[in-house]
Amino acid sequence: MAHLVLDHVSVHYDGQAQPAVTQAGISVKSGDFVVLVGRSGCGKTTLLNTAAGLISPTGGTVTVDGKKVTAPGADRAVVFQNDALFPWLSVRDNVSFALKLRGIPAQERDAVAARLLELVKLDGIGGKAIWELSGGMRQRVGLARALAAEPDFLLMDEPLGALDALTRERMQTLLLDIWTANNIGVLMVTHGIDEALLLATRIVVLAPGPGRVVRQIDAGFGRRYVSGESVRSIKADPAFNRARAELEDSIFEGEAA
Amino acid sequence: MTLSAETSRDIGDAAIVSTATQPEVKAVKPSPARTARIASAITVLGLLLIWIVSAHFKLVSPVFLPSPSAVLWKFYSVSINGFVDATLWQHLLASLLRVFAALLLALVVAVPAGIAIGVSAIGRGIFDPIIEFIRPIPPLAYLPLVIIWFGIGEPSKILVIAIAMLAPIAISTAAGVKGASLDRINAARALGATRAQVVRHVILPNALPSILTGLRIALGAGWSTLVAAELVAATRGLGFMIQSAAQFLVTDVVIMGIFVIAIVAFILEIGIRRLEHLLVPWAGRE
Repeated sequence: MAHLVLDHVSVHYDGQAQPAVTQAGISVKSGDFVVLVGRSGCGKTTLLNTAAGLISPTGGTVTVDGKKVTAPGADRAVVFQNDALFPWLSVRDNVSFALKLRGIPAQERDAVAARLLELVKLDGIGGKAIWELSGGMRQRVGLARALAAEPDFLLMDEPLGALDALTRERMQTLLLDIWTANNIGVLMVTHGIDEALLLATRIVVLAPGPGRVVRQIDAGFGRRYVSGESVRSIKADPAFNRARAELEDSIFEGEAA
Repeated sequence: MTLSAETSRDIGDAAIVSTATQPEVKAVKPSPARTARIASAITVLGLLLIWIVSAHFKLVSPVFLPSPSAVLWKFYSVSINGFVDATLWQHLLASLLRVFAALLLALVVAVPAGIAIGVSAIGRGIFDPIIEFIRPIPPLAYLPLVIIWFGIGEPSKILVIAIAMLAPIAISTAAGVKGASLDRINAARALGATRAQVVRHVILPNALPSILTGLRIALGAGWSTLVAAELVAATRGLGFMIQSAAQFLVTDVVIMGIFVIAIVAFILEIGIRRLEHLLVPWAGRE
């Protein structure tokens, strides 16, 4: 059981009047699916990059199991909005990139890549080039690449933001499947209210000016999907609509304040 | 309609394809690319015609302008019998070896320098002034100094060509390195890459298209430095062949040599484009 904690984290970029994020507290344990929502400029991406170790906080600490995070590490894999794949490598070599960094032999890497591609439902395309793939396929390759590092935490910055509605819905359920199958902790940024509700076990609402956490809401719709209920039936539940209204209110309140 | 179908087949120009939807408007208008090609063809044929006519009617003395057939004949005879103690192919080989040795030398020096300029402020501070100093100096200007320092042997010739190649390779490499996407670098770091691994696995491959562009420019620059490099104490080489011919007023060999240099440059250019296609098929398609 791993535990990622952002404790009173503030980030103040050089030359900016206001901090991007101030005094944010977020906790992600294995098995949590924490989603950050809020209007543009509320510091969602900054917080995610801080958790990843790509940005150092100017105040507060980021810890994993009590140990302070000072740099990015393979225990916290990142999936970017722009998939950030390596076009000079085949799909297979993209997926197994983390293993190559550790000096694992090619045969073993290929086996892992094949298994992960199957997991993200892209079996058999390992030999293809990146530019031959659609946006949805690329994002799944990005996800498989992150999983190859066998991370404790998956940090995702609007991973589905660039996808069309249908692909997006399929990716959401894929994320839930992978999340439960691997018992990882997920921290994800999204603009989609429905997406946040459907996926999260906890929703963190942020407000801008300066970016701060205004509310944390527990949610359980993702767990219902995992225990067998269909997405259609979950979204048809009046409770889902009430939760959406509540979440929209929180985001709006943060805006007004 | 027929005309538009023909033109699109001829040159495969993307602009032409659109005429299929509105043939009555554009079918009679040739595309700019086709217009340029026709103009080029007319120019080349026109120049050739002027050459043939003036040679045929002896408008210019053959000492200054030998006939195209004489030049073609020289191409054949120098290929077989040679000129100044070597056949055309031996001259060509000597020149090619020099240019490629120089390219190798320039790559070994300029690619690391370009990387250093791209990744670190100290590297930029060290190499930028050197590159900027060398870049605008014509080879003929530093040739005497290179000879004073390194003598009149083969190393000097290679060095003169290599110096001309340094700047384009270093500058292109640096540009490619600086152009590496931050997202890709961060993705590699988040997957556990060390700083050296980021350079090796992300920044370098990312810069490869740029490096190849630099190599292409460098090969052009090196090839055009050839004659200067073979000015002193050469016994073989295309540049040497042309200069020797000029001294004996064998103008047909001079012209033949110029054509060979131009043709080889063209072939090299095509070769590098093939190489780009092979090595970096992803460039421009991300």
